[in-house]
Order: sequence, then C-alpha cells, then structure tokens
Amino acid sequence: MVWLYVLPVSAVFLFVFVGPLIYTAWTALHETTYYQIGKFSGLNSFVRLFSDSDLPSRIWTTLVFSLGALVIALPAGLLSAIVLNNLHRFKRSVRSLFLLPWLMSQATAGTIWLWFLNPNYGPASAITKSLGFGPTDVFSSPTSALVAVTLMTAWWSYPQAMLLFLGALQTIPEELRESLKVDGGGIWHGLVNITLPYLRNTIVSVVVVLLMLYVQMVTIILVTTRGGPIGSTETLSMRVYNQMFDKFDLSGASATAILLFAVNIALTLVAIRFRRKESL
Amino acid sequence: MSTTTPRRQLRLGNFLRAVPAWTYIILSAAVVLPPVAWIVSTSLKTASGTLEFPPRWIPAPFSSEGYVGLLTSTNIRFFANSLIYAGGSIVLALAICIPAAYVATRYRSRRMETLMTGILVLSMVPAIVVFIALYSMFVKTALINTYPMMIIVYTAIICGQTILFLRNFIENIPVEIEEAAAIDGCSRMQILWRIILPLIRPGIAAVAIFIFVFVWNDFLVGTVLATTEDMKTVQNGIVRYITTGFGSFWGLFAAFIVVAFIPVLSIFLAFQRWFVAGMTSGGVKG
Repeated sequence: MVWLYVLPVSAVFLFVFVGPLIYTAWTALHETTYYQIGKFSGLNSFVRLFSDSDLPSRIWTTLVFSLGALVIALPAGLLSAIVLNNLHRFKRSVRSLFLLPWLMSQATAGTIWLWFLNPNYGPASAITKSLGFGPTDVFSSPTSALVAVTLMTAWWSYPQAMLLFLGALQTIPEELRESLKVDGGGIWHGLVNITLPYLRNTIVSVVVVLLMLYVQMVTIILVTTRGGPIGSTETLSMRVYNQMFDKFDLSGASATAILLFAVNIALTLVAIRFRRKESL
Repeated sequence: MSTTTPRRQLRLGNFLRAVPAWTYIILSAAVVLPPVAWIVSTSLKTASGTLEFPPRWIPAPFSSEGYVGLLTSTNIRFFANSLIYAGGSIVLALAICIPAAYVATRYRSRRMETLMTGILVLSMVPAIVVFIALYSMFVKTALINTYPMMIIVYTAIICGQTILFLRNFIENIPVEIEEAAAIDGCSRMQILWRIILPLIRPGIAAVAIFIFVFVWNDFLVGTVLATTEDMKTVQNGIVRYITTGFGSFWGLFAAFIVVAFIPVLSIFLAFQRWFVAGMTSGGVKG
C-alpha cells in the first residue's frame, strides 16, 4: 500500500499544523480567560482586532520592517552573489565571510548587536561619543529602534538571498557570457542586459522567500526589543506573541494569528506561481 | 620580451577590474565583522574588563573567566537538551520523510501531488501561528516540556523541506535499477531499504546537517514550548544571560555565544558543499 508510506508524515502534519490551525480558528470564535475557552462569541475577536486603534500602526510597522529589510537584503544578496561568482581567488574565504551572519542563530545575531550597541559599554557608543553625539541609545527611541531591528534582520538574512542567487547564477549558459565578451560589453552592460533578465524569476522568488521570512520574524525582535518601545517594533507576528504570552489574551492572539495566516497564504500563492525547484 | 608586456597589461587589467569587487568585499567585512570581533574580545575579558569605557578591542589582561564560568549544570543541560532535540529530530524526520519522498517520487498520482503540495504549503505557515495553539493545547495536558513533543514539533517544521530535498535525490536514480530488483522479487520495502537508501546517502547527510543546524539555532520552539528551565535550549541559554542577568555577566554571555557557535561553524567548515546544498533546498528557514 503506497499510502502507508506517507501516513507518518501526514499524521505529524495533522498534529502540528492542521489541528492547531483549526484550534486557532476555534479559539478566535470564543471568549477566553487566560487559556480557558469560554462561550461562543462569533466574530467578536475579529471586530476587536479591526477596531483596535493600534492595528494600523502595527500593519505599518510590519510593512516598514519587511520592505525595509527587503530593499537592503535583496541588492546586498544579489551583489554578493555576483561578486562571489566572478571571484577567482580567495573564493572560499570570501564566501564564508558573506555567509557568516546567517550561520549564526537569529538569537545570536540579535544579542551580539545588542551588546555592540550597548549605550554604556559598547564600541558603537565609544565612536559616537568621541564624535560628540552622545551614547548610542538606539533601543530607547521608537524610530531608531525600528530602524535598528530592521537593519539587524537585513544583516542576518542577506546571505540567504545570496545563496539563492548564487545557485541561479551558476545556471547561466556559457554561450550567453561568451556572446557578451564578443560584443565587448562591460560589466554594467552584462548585468543589465544578461544577468538581471536571466534572473527575473529568481528575483521574484527571492523576494517572496524573504518577505515570508520577515513577516514571520519573531526571534530577532523578541531578543532585542520585545516589540517596544511603546509598540514601535511590534510587527503582526510580534503582536501575536505579545498578546499570547504578555497579555494572556488567547482569542485576541488567535484573531491576529488568523490575519497573519491570511497574509502568509497570499505570499504562498505568489510563491507557487513563480515556483522554481531549488528555491521553494 | 615581447610576450611579457601584454601579459603584464593583462595582469594590470585584471587587477583594475578586481578593484570594485574587492571594495565591496572590504565594505562587507566592515559591516559583518565588528560585532563578531567584539563578542570574541568580550569573551576573553575579565568581569571588570567588560565594563571598561571607552572599550578596549584587545583584552588586557586576557582571561578565561567567561569560559570557565560556563561550566554550570544549567548550561550543560541546555547543550544536552539541544543535542537531544537535534538528534531526535534527525532520526524522526529521516524515518518519516524518506518513505514519503520515495513514494511521492515513484508513485505519482494527482492525489499524491495534492498531498505533497499540502505538506509544502503547511510547512510555510508562520511558526508563531501554530505555536499559540500548540502551547494552549499542551499546557492543558501533560505534553508540555516533554522531549517527544519537542522533537515532533521540530520535525514537523523541517519536514516539508526535507521531503523536497530528498525527492530531488531520488529522482536522479535510474528507475531501471528498481525495476531489475522488482523482477528479482524485491518488495517495495526492500527496494527502499537495500537500493534507494544506500544511493541517497549524500542527500541524507545534507539533510541531517540542515536539521541539526536548524534545531541548534532555533530559539522560538524552546521559548514557547519549553516552559521550565531544564527543558530549554542553547539559544534560550544565550538570551537568558541578558534577560535575567544581574551584576557583570557580559563575559559569560559572550563566551556562551562563542561556544554555542562552534558546532555550527565546524560543521560548516567541514562540509561546506553539503551544508550550502541542504540549507538552500527550502526557501524559508526560521
């Protein structure tokens, strides 16, 4: 029986994904006190979610965080891949250097920057102080905290984009490059007329992969700001976490989780459309 | 003499062409390395040395205080837990994903493709979405803080990518080998066990590396589904220093980060090619 072979995997997925998703929808439709489910409340928790005056700012934060990290990580990843692909000497060392942030865990990436930017003892503070700016207290003001968290996330994630681009770059046919050499085109010409058009689908799928990563990012934010100060770094994912484990509001967290799930489904659909074997 | 001049020009040309690339590499190093160097430096300082301002990049005096201080039973427990979770997940994920990847590659049908797409789509659901439900289901039962549950959750998260990756390997095995074995009277199970398994060993190695690094580096599962200290992971151990820290803990914190990074770094350096292949097989990680 062929289906016996997929039974264990299906069972695990039912238990860890399907069951909890149904449970989340169920709790969103009920009143909850702490983690106890009370009586049926219809769409109340969604009404509460969408009438919450904080929601627009959380969506805005999610957009700024995701798109901000994307516009840094995407070009950095592409450029690193192109540089690496054309490198003849020290290739392994340079690749290790480029990959280093991503080899670390998200918790490590977040906390080492936290320590580097420490206003009292960190070297960043020493530099800004010697320039006469005062200590680098980035995590105490809303705007700078959001910028810092976004930059850290881009810093950690650009190697992932690089690896996906690198895989695609290696499939560019040799004739294409040769024809460029015969034409006498320069580096810029090659990039615009050959590399970028060739990578079009890869770029789309890298964009989707990165956006999915950013939309569900919890760890880096959790270890640095926990969504603060005054909610300025609370993305939707972080809001789910905080509602659940800070405010013990299970039905509220479930409603936000369903919204997050909807965003994720939209991204998944795009991903499936532009699916490439290696990248999804 | 006439041949050396063009060659020299060629070299100069190569050199000039390499300038933008190396400028980029040096800039990247300037962005990537400082926090790393700062952590290594901090880990080698004395407790008071970590609180010096302006900070010193080269510790004076050098001290192994941070590393020695790591040897507490709590910290050893964190490392042991992460090893158990990673080892358990590797075994469980391979045990359930290899058969699934095999039949999904060899017995294609519309229903099978639907199931595989379903698994892939589900594995892209944000972890936090299912974790709140898993947490509230687990706290009501005795399932929270148990090794099997943690391993099952880790396994579920990486299963989609594992199957996808293994399928690419199985696809490259010629069907004729299996057909010959079937004619000789091998059952499907025997074909999988005796023929497929030995042939996809490199794939299994790459997947095992990927699972190890994923579990070792994961923070969220340990944070949400392990509520007692004795079930927490290495990554929780790192963050524990700065959230519950009092007094001077920066040296310990830095040393812990360095020690926690060593397994991943050594696996990377030893198996670069497989490592990269395994890690890029699936899009989303973390």
